[in-house]
This record gives sequence, C-alpha cells and structure tokens, in this order.
Amino acid sequence: MNAIPAELLRILIGLVAVAASVGLIGLVMVWVERKVAGHIQRRPGPFEVGPSGVLQPLCDALKLVGKQLFMPSGADPILFWLAPVLAFLPVLLLFLPLPVGDGLQALNINLGLLLILAFSGLAVLSVLLGGWASNNKYGLLGAARAVAQSVAYEIPLLLSVLAVAFVAGSLDLAEVVKGQGTWPWNWNVMTQPLAFLIYFVSALGETNRAPFDLPEAESELTAGFHTEYSGMGFGLFFLAEYANMVVVCSVATALFLGGWHGPVLPGPVWFVLKVSALMLLMVFARWTYPRVRFDQLLVINWKWLLPLAVANLLLTAFFVKLAQFA
Amino acid sequence: MEYMAKIAFGFYTLIILAGSILAVGAKSLVRSMVGLIATLLGVAGMYMLLNAQFMALMQILIYVGAICVLIFFAIMLTRADDGGEEAQSASVRQNLLALLAVLSVGGILGWLVLTRPLATTGVPVEVTIEKLGLGLLGTYGLAFELISVVLLVSMAGAVLLTWERRNGK
Repeated sequence: MNAIPAELLRILIGLVAVAASVGLIGLVMVWVERKVAGHIQRRPGPFEVGPSGVLQPLCDALKLVGKQLFMPSGADPILFWLAPVLAFLPVLLLFLPLPVGDGLQALNINLGLLLILAFSGLAVLSVLLGGWASNNKYGLLGAARAVAQSVAYEIPLLLSVLAVAFVAGSLDLAEVVKGQGTWPWNWNVMTQPLAFLIYFVSALGETNRAPFDLPEAESELTAGFHTEYSGMGFGLFFLAEYANMVVVCSVATALFLGGWHGPVLPGPVWFVLKVSALMLLMVFARWTYPRVRFDQLLVINWKWLLPLAVANLLLTAFFVKLAQFA
Repeated sequence: MEYMAKIAFGFYTLIILAGSILAVGAKSLVRSMVGLIATLLGVAGMYMLLNAQFMALMQILIYVGAICVLIFFAIMLTRADDGGEEAQSASVRQNLLALLAVLSVGGILGWLVLTRPLATTGVPVEVTIEKLGLGLLGTYGLAFELISVVLLVSMAGAVLLTWERRNGK
C-alpha cells in the first residue's frame, strides 16, 4: 500500500475544517441576525439564554434537530429529501478554494473562481427540486420565482467578476489577492468600484437575501420553496443560505477588498474581519430595506445591472489593452 | 495512483449509466431531469479525469447550472403530468427498432474497443485557459465564429417562433 498522497490529505483536512466552520458560522449568524433585527426594530432580541442570548442559537438548533420530519402527501419522496441535501453538499466544496491567508487554502486550484461559480449554480437546483417536490402551490411559486431570479442575477454577477479577472489576469483567487496591496487604495475596489457594487447587489439576489428574497417571501408565499420542510430539512436550507452568504462575501473580499492584505494584523484575521463586515452589511440590508416587487426585481437586473456590467466590462477590457500598449 | 484513477473511472461510469437510465426510464419528468443532471455531472467528472478542469467546470456551470434550470422552468410552466401519450408503453415494433438501434451503435463501438485496444496513455497534459483562448480566437477562429453564428440563428429562430404565435393568437 502506498502512503496517502499529500494533496488528498490536504483536501480531507480542509473538508473537516470547512464542515466545522460552517456549523459554527451558522450558529453565530443566527445570533447576529436576530440581535441586529431586534435592535433595528427597537427591541433587545434574544437575551434570556446565556449572556445577551448567545446560547439561543444552540437551543434553536437542538429544537430543529428534535423536531419530527414531515412530508406532505402526494410529494415525491426521493426528490423531497434530495433537495435539502443537494442544497447543503456543494457548500462544502465552495469553501475549498477560498484563500483565507497567504498559502492557507484547502484546495489550490488555478480555476478556483470558476469552481465556485460552477457549483454555486447547484443551489438554485435544490430550491427548484424542493419547491416542486413539495406538491404545494406556494412551494411551486417560490421555485418558479427562484428560476427567473437566479437566471437573471447570475449574468451581471459573472460579468462583474470577469472584469476583475481581466485586471488580475487570472481566475485563481490567491493570484487575484496577491495582485493587490496592503492599503485600501491598493485594492481592486478602487479600480473597479462599479463592478463591486454590481457584484454585491447580484450576490444578494443570488443568495436569496432580502430585499431580493422573493422565492421565500413570507408575506405572500408563507415560506415559498421550503414551506413544507420541518426540522432539519428546513435547517439544512437555512444553514446552506448562511454558508452561501459567507462564500459570496469571501469571494468579494478576495476579489475587491484585498483578501488577506492589511496593515499590522496577520492575514487570516484581516480576511475574517472583512468577510464579517460584508456579512453584517448584508444583514443590515435585510432589516432596513423593504422587499422589492417581482417586476421591480427583474427591472433592476435587466435594465440596470446588466447594461452597467457590460459597459464596465468593455471599459475594463479597453483600459487593460491600453495599459498593455503603454 | 493508477488504481485510484480506475476507481474514479468506474464511479463516473456508474453515475453516467444510472443517470441516463433514470433520465429515459423515469415516469416523472422532473425525475428524468435529475437523471440528466447526474449524467452531466458524471461527464464533468470524466473531463476532470482527463485533466481538462476548465471543460469540467464549464460543463457544470453551463449544462447543470443554466440549461437544466431552463429545462426545469419549461417543465414547471407546462405542468406536464405522467398520463400523456408518451407515458404509454411502446409497441413491440418500436421496442424492436430501439433494440436494433442500440445494438448497432453499441456493437460497432464495442467491437472497435475490443479489437483495437488503446495502450494506456500517460497523465494528459493540462491545457491552460491562455492556450485555450489563443486557440479559439486564433487558430480555430473561423470555426469559433461559425458556432456563434449558429447560436445566434437558433436564438433568432426561437424569438421568431414565439413572435408569430403571439401575433396569431
């Protein structure tokens, strides 16, 4: 028997670390989200369990695990249970190519960005399957909305990412980070502010976060695609949503905000700080902006984000060529 | 490492076969589509095995992430149930013809593989995206542009079809 190859071991360790951190992030984000929501609505949020309610997510998780799993009659049993698993599994893969620090990367692949974009597309499939297999009209409506939304928002997202890839000349996230400097004015966000804005708005749309959480709009569709899911079926969708948020924020950090670069503090700390700041921004956006109507959602995308992203890409290509000749 | 490659090959082949059987045989259209997705993922795995990472990821991004989602959209909008005429079992003649088609293609391919075995080649060299881009826009520029024209024509055709129906009501 040969020894296990080092690359395989690296991926295994990375997977274990990712699985652990996804669980931890889920717990922390539930607390942060409820606390922020509480304070924005002038109430304290959870504070009974533990100091300032920090143990509340643990109780929530225990409750979710302990709940009975229901399946509506007439639902497709295989697809119904496949959907939450399919929502969660690709997430583990999405974390692998993220460059947390210099050389601190679970999977060093030169197409890391493409890997993330490819596998994040599986998320919408899980929403579709879940909504369809529930045999529920709200579920189906949520799924139908999810398709139109994700097909639309994926395009400006890709175009804005492409603009940065043009400047950096690489699809390797670690390479893109290495091309940026220590101070904020050396980051890509200074040369590509429009791309950053487009990326962030499209990322909100892609992760189904408010104000673009149309597939699960509570006021119209009860809970949209996950109406019929109870217990950990819902829990997995929920966890996947937070994990996807972390992924899009990490990609934004690596592409636009200089990744692990930063003065004084060590790299991974800076990375986590920047990702947390973006996550907090997403949470603030959720609790301050009202949900858009569906036609507004599509108008924002097709009439604003898409033309702007194309124009930005063309301008970037022009200047990159100009810089090559100069 | 060779036995690992063989295990991976067997695994992907299994996924492709099971997925395609599900895609053709399932009663429910959505289940068929899940089979199709499994097949496409298996093919992506095969690309990975050939050290064509870019192809594999593009396969997932475009076929699984975009095309399957659009197919799903069509299924959902038409709300096709499994009681249509396609769901009826086929006649003996149709089955025989299908068997003939499978046997002719499978027979030729199997005969080729069995009589002209290919010596195992080494680990394929990975083609970088730079090379791929230069090839597509340089050496094979004409073919590349022709493909885009074909895509444009099909897109225009789809728009035209819906346009006529909308006007005719």
